[in-house]
Formats: sequence, structure tokens, C-alpha cells
Amino acid sequence: MTITLLRMTLAASLLATSALAEDAAGFRENFLSGAAPWETVTKRAADEGTVNLYYWGGSDPLNIWMDQVVTPDLAKLGVTLNPVRITGTKDAIDLVLAEKGAGKALGAGSVDAIWVNGENFATLKRQDALFGSFADKLPNSAHFEWDETDPRALLNLRDFGLATEAAEVPWSGEQYVCAVNTGRVEHAAAPTTFAELRTYLEAHPGKFSYVKPPHWLGNTFVQAALYAHNPDGSGATPFQETLESLGAAELARLIQPGFEYLKSIEPLLLGAQSGNIRYPEDGAALNGLFLNGEIDFACQFGLYAVATNLANGTFPEGAQSFIFPEGNMIKNKNYLAIPSNAPHPAAALVLADYMSSVAAQASKLQFTGMPAGIDPWTLTTDEAETLSAAAPGYIGVTQAELDANTAPDTNATLVDVIEAVWLDYIERGSADPFDVIVARAVSNLSN
Amino acid sequence: MPPKRQIWLLMQLLPVMLVLTVLFGGALLLGVAQALGFAPWFGVNTFPDTSHFAALWSDPVFWRSLGFTLYYAFVATGLAVVFGVLLALALRESFAGKTLFKYIYKLPLMIPYAVGIALAVLLLGNGGMASRMMAFVGVIDDPSQFPQILKTHAGWGIIAVYVWKQLPFVALTVYAVLLGLGRETEEAAKVLGAHRWQVFWHVTLPQILPAIVSSSLIITAFNIGAFEAPFILGGGFPDTLPVVAWRYFNDADYTLQLRGMAVVVTLAIVSGVVLFAYLGTYRRFERKRGRS
Repeated sequence: MTITLLRMTLAASLLATSALAEDAAGFRENFLSGAAPWETVTKRAADEGTVNLYYWGGSDPLNIWMDQVVTPDLAKLGVTLNPVRITGTKDAIDLVLAEKGAGKALGAGSVDAIWVNGENFATLKRQDALFGSFADKLPNSAHFEWDETDPRALLNLRDFGLATEAAEVPWSGEQYVCAVNTGRVEHAAAPTTFAELRTYLEAHPGKFSYVKPPHWLGNTFVQAALYAHNPDGSGATPFQETLESLGAAELARLIQPGFEYLKSIEPLLLGAQSGNIRYPEDGAALNGLFLNGEIDFACQFGLYAVATNLANGTFPEGAQSFIFPEGNMIKNKNYLAIPSNAPHPAAALVLADYMSSVAAQASKLQFTGMPAGIDPWTLTTDEAETLSAAAPGYIGVTQAELDANTAPDTNATLVDVIEAVWLDYIERGSADPFDVIVARAVSNLSN
Repeated sequence: MPPKRQIWLLMQLLPVMLVLTVLFGGALLLGVAQALGFAPWFGVNTFPDTSHFAALWSDPVFWRSLGFTLYYAFVATGLAVVFGVLLALALRESFAGKTLFKYIYKLPLMIPYAVGIALAVLLLGNGGMASRMMAFVGVIDDPSQFPQILKTHAGWGIIAVYVWKQLPFVALTVYAVLLGLGRETEEAAKVLGAHRWQVFWHVTLPQILPAIVSSSLIITAFNIGAFEAPFILGGGFPDTLPVVAWRYFNDADYTLQLRGMAVVVTLAIVSGVVLFAYLGTYRRFERKRGRS
């Protein structure tokens, strides 16, 4: 009797699961067309039960926040968070595309949501592997500026120059900030332009390096150098265009002075004196060099990086932020995207909505120092105060200085070329003419 | 052979054969196919297309990478074999604390490579214990002035980790053979007037040679294909081939994965050629000596 009952329940739950998987496409259509009210989403999410969030697991504070805050909060919404910590976002993208290639559609894959931006989002979009325009249909979407006529909306509408089309929801906003070890160099003596950096390195050879491209922390340093050396003096502006509209020859003209600068400082970088230039592989390696006093400046994304890293001991005691390079401190956002073959699409939407709430954003900021992805001007005064009270604070710079020196990110189609040119021109030291190098990088990409 | 025993034999062989043909053979086939342009899941299918191999092999940097790969592998194997054999010979003698020492020398065998790499970074790195100690006692002004041991193309860090882990392996293998041999033949040679060196060269070495060859084959194969040590302790560009392959795989540009697969396939070919040449030379040598 018991066994029969057990069998029946099992069969029923199997049926329910397959039924859920089957009508996932219908659910998606209903939700994206606006026909489904939010209650149907939350109800379905509770039926789905789990949400698989794939994210870079290299930050302990973030992992702790996921386990101590997000997991219990989502449990209250009837959804179990399954945090999948990966060493690189690309692993999740690979999985999505491999499963898509194997014919797994919505409701059948393994990735519900990915922490993503830039090239990885561009890949998902190019491969048509996104759930759809969900971000502006969440109840908490009011916390974002979507009005195209407002320039402040740009970071919500474009990710590395590529239109997000609300297929990903902003999660955090970041700015590329450099820190100086005031135990070795006075804050006032820190360079503010690329020319001053070179002068500094001529006096103190080997006391700087940047993360090796194609790591995004390295790419961003290169992009800032390219903006600053733009021969037209128009900074980041032409870099917002796509490769297609700009063309290889024009791109080569725009980036050549910047790359020549990077080449000129190469003999002054860490390790170059002993004939073995050292570019750290990632942010952790960069922090290690900075902590050891091997380099005097460390550049990476992190508005609050100094405060957070001082608190957990990964920065030397005298670390302070400083403004570098003047006018070209790249600012961007990172996002949560839902792939087209998410096994639990409703639960993923509930997660995305939860992450866009003021409470979640404020506690994330407090736990991890990751700046809010929601836009403070869309909030009530109380909410905005909650958010600013949670921020760890700036050390060595002010909000006004940071705002005055902001630059946008480079278009994702150009980033691929810039990476390839760096590897060819700087790392391999190719002797070919510069425009040949750029043309080769472009043609390799379009293959 | 009676059919019953044949079936039994088949059952004994089947699990290994399945793993080898399905998992290993399948992966190898897929790897070769990808390197030849077959990757429809990225929207790439130009099979058969040798351009990935052509681009790789015509690149001078590739040959430098291959040179570094083989250099680290051979130097580390050579050191591990020489010191491993010396250790195995020493273990036959009796000395104070031998029982304890026989446990200690095997420790690296149980500790993963990653831990060995971490130890190297902690001890020998420019922010490591040795450099901080020197800075603390005032030999150098700050830790960054410590001579660079890791992250150079000389590869002392990589070689040190390989030798640290593989020396005990060689010693263990050779020591086991030495124990089985006993000392009678050596004593006979001595009685007949052979010097210590002659005893080793003409009596001991030929008997332990099979153990040396098999253990050095295993570690050479590992050293050629290993990734972690050269990635963390290597000198950067030009990287060893496994690291080059990883960089291609990890690039946001998907088409580079095919190039990465070409690197992996090349690596498998090189490794296969080296190992077969080694084994072939050894077999010929044994045949010449009248042993097969």
C-alpha cells in the first residue's frame, strides 16, 4: 500500500516536473509579452523550487553574503538558491552554449542565472542564448533608469557598447580606480596622467605593472591608455562605435599612439630590469604584488576596494585611492543574465527581482563593498540613505572627483581586437607595421 | 583456452578497455576533430581544415614554447632520476633514524602538486618567507629586491616542484626492485675484485634499469603535459604548451578554442613521439645486450 502510494507520488511529481518543463516556453511568452502578472511568476518559482546561480566564486565576502543573506531571503520566497561558484564566467557560458548545442531548450538546461558583462554577454547575445527582455518587467525595475533620453541610463541600456535590450539586469556598478601605497609614495606624488606615470617609472623602474590582457582588468587599463592617447583628443567617444562602423584602418589610427605608449613603458615595468617582465595574471596576483611592496600602484575595478581590502588585509596599510588617469577612469556595470535554456526561468526571475531590491543591494554593498547596481535617483530619500549608509566609504578620493573623471567602457567588438593587438604588439613584440597587426587581429576575429 | 576462462578473461579486461576506448579514445577523436575545424556547437564547421595546425606550427613562438616545455620536463626528470637512485641506494644501508626517514621521504608522494606549488610561492617568492626574512634582518631593503627564483624562464621553481614530488617516486620504485634483488650478485662481484663503481655500473645499474626507465617514462609524460606548475611558477610569455592551450581555451573568442585543441593534439603527438623514442631506444639497448 505504502509502496503504491509512494509510486503514485513519484509518478505525480515526475509528471509535474515534465509538465513544468514543457510549458516553460509558454511561460516565457506570457511573461515577456506582459500577459502574466507577477503572482504567476512567484507561484511558478515556488513550484520550480531551485535557482542555479553561476558566478565567479573568487571573492570570500561575496560567497559569505550569498550563503548568509541571499539563501535565507530566497528561502522565504520559496526558492532554494544553488550557488555555483566558478573560476571564470566563461565556464558558465561554455555550459550554456554546449547544452544549447545539444538541443536543451528552456526548462532543460542547468544554468538559471549568470553574473556577467562585456564580451561574455556579447557571446550569449550573438549566439541567441538569452531568455529575453525581462529586466524592465520586474517589479523592482523601477530602481533603474530606463529613459533613453537621460544620459545616466546609458549603463543600464548598454553593456560595453552593446545594447542590453533588458536581457540582463544591472547588479553592480564599478569604476576602475588605482590605489597608491602611501607607505612608499606620498599621495600627492602619485601620477595623475600617463605621462606622469612614465616619469615616475623612469625614476623608479619596476615599481608598476598591470594585469595581463586578455584578463578584463588588464584590458581596462589598456583601454584607458588608448582613450588618453586618442590622436583626435576625443577620448572614449569613437570607442563606443562597433568594429563594423569604425573599420580596421580607422581603429588602427586611433589606438596606435596608446599602444606606442604602452610599449614605451614596458622596459620600466616590474621585472623588466632583470629581463623578465611580469604582468600579474589576475586581481589576486596584482594585490599580492601591491601588498609586498613590489609595485607602488595597483589599478583595478573597485570604488571601495581600498576600504574593503584594508579591512581584510589584502592591501598594505598605507593604501589610498587616487585619481588616475585624469578624465579616463572607466565606469561600467555588471549584470545578471538569464540564459535561453534556464531550467527554472521563474525562479531566475524571482532571483533577479530580489537582487534589484534596495535591501539586497544595501546588504551586498555592506558585506562585499560592491557598489550598488540600482540607480540612487530613482529611490525614495529613505532608500537612498539606506544605500549610502551601507557604503564602506572612499579613502583618498571624493565622490565628486570620481564623478568628474568618469569614462565609458569600450565597445565589446573593439575589446576583442584590442586584446589581440596587445598580445601581438606588446607581448609577442611583433615587428610588423602597426596597421598590419590590427588588420590581422580583425581578420582573425571575423574568421 | 576453455571458453569459460576466455569469458572470465574478457570480463577482467573489459572495464579498462571500456574506459580507454570510450573515454580516452573518444576524447582524443573529438580533440583531433576539433583541431581540424569541427565545432558545430560554436557555429564552426570547416572540417577537415589544417589551418589551425599550420598557423600554430609556422609560428616561431610555438617552437620556443615547445622548447621550454621539453626543457622543464627533461631537466626535472633527469634530476629526479639521479637523486632518486642515489636515495634508493642509500636506503639499503643502515643509519640512525632510518625507520623515521623512510616515512618522511615519501611525504611528497601524498601531498598534491598544488600544495607543493603553494609551498614554493610561500617560501621562495618575492613576497615569500625567505625574502621577508632577508628584508627583516636587513640584507635587502625590501622584499622585492630578493633575487627572483620563481616566474623566470630558467624555471627553477617549476623544476624544484617536479623534483620534490618525483624524486621519492623514483626512489620508491628503484628501492623496491633493489630489495627484491638482494645483494648476492654485488657481493660476488666484489669478491671477484670489482671496485664500487664497477659494481654499480656493471651489476646494480643493469638490474635496476627497467625500474628507472618505467618510472622516468611516467614522470616525463606527466611533466610534458602538466599545467599548474608552469602556469603559476613559469616566466610568462612564451608559456609552456599546456599553458598556451589554456590561454586559447580561456579566451572570450570562441574560435580560438580550435587553436587550443590544435595545441593539445600537438602536445599529445610530441609526448607520444618522445616516449616511444625513449622506450624504443631502451628496448634496442636491451636486445643488444642479449636481454629482451
